[in-house]
Amino acid sequence: MKKRIILSFALLFALTAVFIVISITAGSADISPDEVIKIIFGGGADETSELILLKIRLPRTFAAALLGGALALSGYMLQTYFHNPIAGPFVLGISSGARLTVAIALILAARGAIVLNSALMAATAFVGALIAMSAVLLMSSRIRSMSLLVVCGVMIGYICTAITDIIVNFADDSDIVNLRGWSVGTFSGFRSESLIVCAIIIFAALTAVFFMSKPISAYQLGESYAVDMGVNIKAVRIAIILLSSLLSGCVAAFAGPVTFVGIAVPFLVKMLFGTAKPLVMIPACFLGGGVFCIVSDIIARTVISPSELGISTVTSVLGAPVVLMIMLRKNKERVRD
Amino acid sequence: MLEIKNICAGYGKREITHDISFTVQGGEILTFIGQNGSGKSTLLKTLAGQIPPLSGEMLIDGESVSEMSRNDFAKRVSAMLTDRPRTDMMNCREVIETGRYPYTGTFGLLGDTDKKAVAEAMRLTDTEELADCFFTEISDGQKQRVMLARAVCREPKILLLDEPTSFLDIHYKLTFLDMLDNLRRERNIAVIMSLHETELAEKISDTVMLLKNGKCTGIGKPTELLDRRSLTKHFDISDELYEKYHG
Repeated sequence: MKKRIILSFALLFALTAVFIVISITAGSADISPDEVIKIIFGGGADETSELILLKIRLPRTFAAALLGGALALSGYMLQTYFHNPIAGPFVLGISSGARLTVAIALILAARGAIVLNSALMAATAFVGALIAMSAVLLMSSRIRSMSLLVVCGVMIGYICTAITDIIVNFADDSDIVNLRGWSVGTFSGFRSESLIVCAIIIFAALTAVFFMSKPISAYQLGESYAVDMGVNIKAVRIAIILLSSLLSGCVAAFAGPVTFVGIAVPFLVKMLFGTAKPLVMIPACFLGGGVFCIVSDIIARTVISPSELGISTVTSVLGAPVVLMIMLRKNKERVRD
Repeated sequence: MLEIKNICAGYGKREITHDISFTVQGGEILTFIGQNGSGKSTLLKTLAGQIPPLSGEMLIDGESVSEMSRNDFAKRVSAMLTDRPRTDMMNCREVIETGRYPYTGTFGLLGDTDKKAVAEAMRLTDTEELADCFFTEISDGQKQRVMLARAVCREPKILLLDEPTSFLDIHYKLTFLDMLDNLRRERNIAVIMSLHETELAEKISDTVMLLKNGKCTGIGKPTELLDRRSLTKHFDISDELYEKYHG
């Protein structure tokens, strides 16, 4: 049992390393690993290559790893909260809620009404995520069936997306130059300032979640069992909601919509590690989400190079079949019961 | 050891059990007897801290529960509930280990004392050979034993069980109750439970409490309260009906 966990972590770390190398070397301009070493440790590399590596490829790879991890972790927490393996930030409309408030903020900023920096943008996304989450929670108090709740989440997502579209339509063209690229979803074009803000938020949230692995493990067994174990259920629930909203809001604000990562990765990671223990799942989901998004990003920018696919196009192709698998598995379990 | 003073229990404004008082000493078994809906489960849930009491007081060794931290309460009282735990990919040992929760550190990892307590609980409940089986893949009778081990490894002073023998066949019913009987002797645990099987309750309990429509209609020795006359009255059974199937 223990051995499998160590081996799985080793595998995840190895995959991360391999795909980081591929991600920074592959692309429309080839940069060989030799050159990468030269650039990083100094010593007469080609200047264009150096620029591409430091300004484009490294930030992009780092963004994919970081935000991918955040998405997977956020998904894992939502699945724990709702006791439902297909809950996720996108399915429940939380990402769309974050996008709506960010779109409003971007337009206000373009009109000069507010000055938008990365931290403020993250805060705006967090508020949007929380609003959508509150709507889902409000419904969850009335809806007992988990599958219906997911449908409600999808509807909330559509409503938020529709309002976003309307607002974008009314905005001047010049206001929405930024929005267009962002509404497809991408890990490119990160300024180092945004990356630092993201990193601070995400690592802080990751640490907080990791320190909650004990109460989360109790919550997993079911509410009455958590109470029996002396857990303050209300506090745990609020913490899960806030942290998962913060994580998915952060991704939605800076990368736009990235679908299915939050559902597919926790499932795959659980299968790989053979356990659902939070102490293992939390770091593993973070790593797994990172690998998943680095791979997706490599595919997105190399398949039809020099043009690019939206990141969600790739994550959907890779992630949606996994979600189908989860549902078939669930169905089988129900039949067996 | 456990003292219950005028507890009223229920959900929100709806009071289900009214003004219940009793005391239980370590090593004693108190059994609630009553029809479905008489308030047994509500009372047990309140004692277990699952729902807050509407009024009244609960004292453990003279200490008021309302002034205890959640963790301190969990160390003293452990419950075996009717809802099934969600045990995604957990084997039986892992399920049992969750019982040690109030004693483990920040990350919930088990120390030597915890492991010893788990091993001992597994021995007492005869669940050692189930250790590596997935919880979802064992029989109902085995599940109940695993859940008992989970409750017992906490080394509580008070053990609460809500209809622990329902859905079990006669073999598992009897072995389960026998385990309880040994446990309270060896560990001096106070056991409070609800049972539907009056004939079993009579044999195992030190005290029984009759509950009807949320009120205590009698508390005392099982031989005095579980005779035919009080049973038929308590469960609203006519003499002919009792005679036909039970006489």
